[in-house]
Amino acid sequence: MTGRLNRIAYEDGVSESIGFLLIFTLVIVGIGLVTLYGYPMLLQQQVSADEQIMEKNMIVLQNDVKSLAYKTIPYKETSLKIGGGTLSVFNSSYTPPSGVPAAITILDNNGDLIDSFQSGDLMYLSDSAGTDVSLQNGAVVKRHRVEPGSVMLAEPRWFYDGMTKTMVINLINITSDEMLSRAGVGTVQMSLGDMQFQKFSVDDVPSTLHPPVYLKYTPNKNQDYSIAWDNYFRRSLGMSLTSGTPGNGLELQYQFPDTTTLVVKQFEVNIRSL
Amino acid sequence: MAGLRDDAQWIVLMGFIVSFSLFFVAIVINQSTVVGQTTAEAVIEFPKNDIRGMRDMIIQSEFLVDEGVFNNKTNVQNDIKTLSLHRQNSVVSFSSRNPTGSDPHTYIEIHYSNGVTAYNETWRSN
Repeated sequence: MTGRLNRIAYEDGVSESIGFLLIFTLVIVGIGLVTLYGYPMLLQQQVSADEQIMEKNMIVLQNDVKSLAYKTIPYKETSLKIGGGTLSVFNSSYTPPSGVPAAITILDNNGDLIDSFQSGDLMYLSDSAGTDVSLQNGAVVKRHRVEPGSVMLAEPRWFYDGMTKTMVINLINITSDEMLSRAGVGTVQMSLGDMQFQKFSVDDVPSTLHPPVYLKYTPNKNQDYSIAWDNYFRRSLGMSLTSGTPGNGLELQYQFPDTTTLVVKQFEVNIRSL
Repeated sequence: MAGLRDDAQWIVLMGFIVSFSLFFVAIVINQSTVVGQTTAEAVIEFPKNDIRGMRDMIIQSEFLVDEGVFNNKTNVQNDIKTLSLHRQNSVVSFSSRNPTGSDPHTYIEIHYSNGVTAYNETWRSN
């Protein structure tokens, strides 16, 4: 009898329905938090993981292009998984529906040395991250679709040799027989096409009279990678900006550092399939 | 409480340590693709054979004479420069100093650069 009385005393203020409500609320709040915050966070992680994987993949593809161009290996193929977007080839003869494709012109005071070279590109268009990663002219560049900036993830192999005052420029022209595009798992097959070698030299001129050489970069207004290229031209190659503002989609002109020999190599890389 | 045995608490602690270390290992693995890529690239890209070949050719060419067409020293040396630009994507320049009365050696200054690797040497004949 005493035990029973005690038990009753211990259960004072205990209600089954309140207890149920409390536990139920906790469970609902838990599920709610996961749905509202956890799940979007997971999705975001997935998107950025896809993007990062594709950035790495583009660098792998850039290495393939390097092997083709600089080591004259005739053929390369790489299997990769393209997640969260599509990989497409815009070959060098492709004209966008509006605006002009990006082009590089090299000129001196006597006129054009290389007239409006269009590289074409291999581009990853992310569906959900809103970014484009492009392999163009031997460089990997990335931009956000809604913001004006762009960044170079891997530089092309252009170089300036200060000792001999030689500028070596490698232009890589991406071609394909048809428009190609791929999502999911695919194999990128590429082969080396024609190669052109041009050398412009002013060795016999006294050093104070070296004629200036200019590079003109015209970005594609809808795919503006000019900030990435601007950084590369100025920081890595030591060129100086002579006209234009990077990032507004208009033509930019750069002057080379003191150059006596200019070597321009043009490689054609043919994308067989994606 | 008196009878509570806590000898096995280390199992729980080990569990914590293992899971935290897994977490760090995951971070490291996540970075490995890029590192492997760049390291492999650095090894492959080092142009050891290019430099050796170029150096041998330059030294050989130094002892040619400026006569005829095919074995002409100037032609051969110009060809070396053109070929290395064309085939190896590298800038090569070199100059030599002939033996003088007090110094019986020939010196050749060799400069090689392919944008990633630069090599400079002053070669001296024996």
